[in-house]
Amino acid sequence: MRAFAVARFLAADAVRSQRFLIPLFLHGAILAVLFGGDPGPPPAPWAASALALYPIAAWLALTVANTEDPVQRTVTVAAAGGQVPVAAGTLLVALAGDLLLAVLSVAWPVVATGYPHPPAVLVEGLLGHLACATTGTAVGLLCARPVIGKIGWSLLAAVFVVVVTGVQPWLPPVGTSVAALEAGAGYPPLALGAVLGLALAGVAAGISAAVARRS
Amino acid sequence: MPVRPGALRLEAIRKSYGGAPEVLAGVDLGVAPREIVVVAGANGTGKSTLLRIAAGCSRPTSGRVRGRAPVVGYLPDRFPSQLRMPASAYLKHLAALHREDATAAAVSAAELLEALGFVGSTRTPMSGLSKGNAQKVGLAQALCCSAGLLVLDEPWSGLDAPAAQVLLGRLAAAADDGASVLITDHTGIATALAGARHLRLQDGELRPAPPQPAGQAPLVVVELWCPLDPAAAAAALAPFVRASPAGDRLIVHVPVGRSDALLRAALDLGCSVLSVAPAPDWSR
Repeated sequence: MRAFAVARFLAADAVRSQRFLIPLFLHGAILAVLFGGDPGPPPAPWAASALALYPIAAWLALTVANTEDPVQRTVTVAAAGGQVPVAAGTLLVALAGDLLLAVLSVAWPVVATGYPHPPAVLVEGLLGHLACATTGTAVGLLCARPVIGKIGWSLLAAVFVVVVTGVQPWLPPVGTSVAALEAGAGYPPLALGAVLGLALAGVAAGISAAVARRS
Repeated sequence: MPVRPGALRLEAIRKSYGGAPEVLAGVDLGVAPREIVVVAGANGTGKSTLLRIAAGCSRPTSGRVRGRAPVVGYLPDRFPSQLRMPASAYLKHLAALHREDATAAAVSAAELLEALGFVGSTRTPMSGLSKGNAQKVGLAQALCCSAGLLVLDEPWSGLDAPAAQVLLGRLAAAADDGASVLITDHTGIATALAGARHLRLQDGELRPAPPQPAGQAPLVVVELWCPLDPAAAAAALAPFVRASPAGDRLIVHVPVGRSDALLRAALDLGCSVLSVAPAPDWSR
């Protein structure tokens, strides 16, 4: 699968360039603040960390998608045999980042607080974070090259979309997942949110590939 | 890995961006295995667009591309990089994308970079490479992957004369191995490629074009010391342009594609080579 070769290539440069460090540290700082002191029993405190993960994941996806110069990207596309493996590889790296940040967010209060965290609650937390993170990935991919070429417009568009969609408790998958974590509504709405978020990320990668083909 | 060739066929290719006039207005082009096609044309005539479509980076607005080889080596018009990874890591990843064996690709890329006169470390970040060195890394990723289709946009851009010679040899060798080769060139160096088909892109259409006369090719200045009468040596080297005696030395200006033949002839005459350098007016 050439998508995995693309993913290894993009991940290698993300690690070497240390561009992934800022979103990672920022999220770590948010977790430290949220789970310092007494956050209360799970899963309610995860509502805030999951919501925070939404823009962080968008940032990460934008960074990964903009790793290469547009001209150099043409070399990668020719080598990989088309836009689809390149878009899929970008998606894979962003999703791997989502998983890492989601696991970190779920594990933090387990270590930092004294509350019991039964496995069912851990699954809820993980699904809620994945729902927000994958939706963030979708936003990031749609705001990055080749859909939006200029980084200034990319940031403006991503911030606008995240702010508008992140604060609607009725809006799936982010709003509903955050609300479900807050209310302790169990895992069905969270699983639905995660599946929906993953689907959105997949659609965003597809749109990205389609736009690139027309260039 | 053996080259897996393909008979590339572009059929009725049209391309337009937004509401702008068509860049390509119905281009038909076939590039057979072992064939070298050179496309010339003024700036902005759509050569790069045509090559991007041939390489599979861009889709035509209408028309079809058939028979593209499974592995494509592509070099864009300029090869900028904002990557933090060093050239060695980049070449390793590109070899994986090209589905080429990593060890074999690393060996052949290192050998090509040395032949091209790559200076500096392959551990310098790609973003820190000079234009010439970046171009050499770009050539290495395209030429060291057993590609069945080579699509090179102005491959001689930014190369010095010795590297230009090396590239000529590599392109001929790639074609001999069965690759289809499609290049653009406005340095005139491609006129030295034996058996290449020369085309011209004008008004969005491809037409046959005679190769540019060799006199327009960039020149190499060769300085010789000849024990026999320099004037007689100049006469003997007459097939090569502009041989002028300077004291007991002989200055010869020769098109880049023929400099090797000149050196052979000069050595056969018993002359010694004092220097070989690109002409001062070497430019794109």
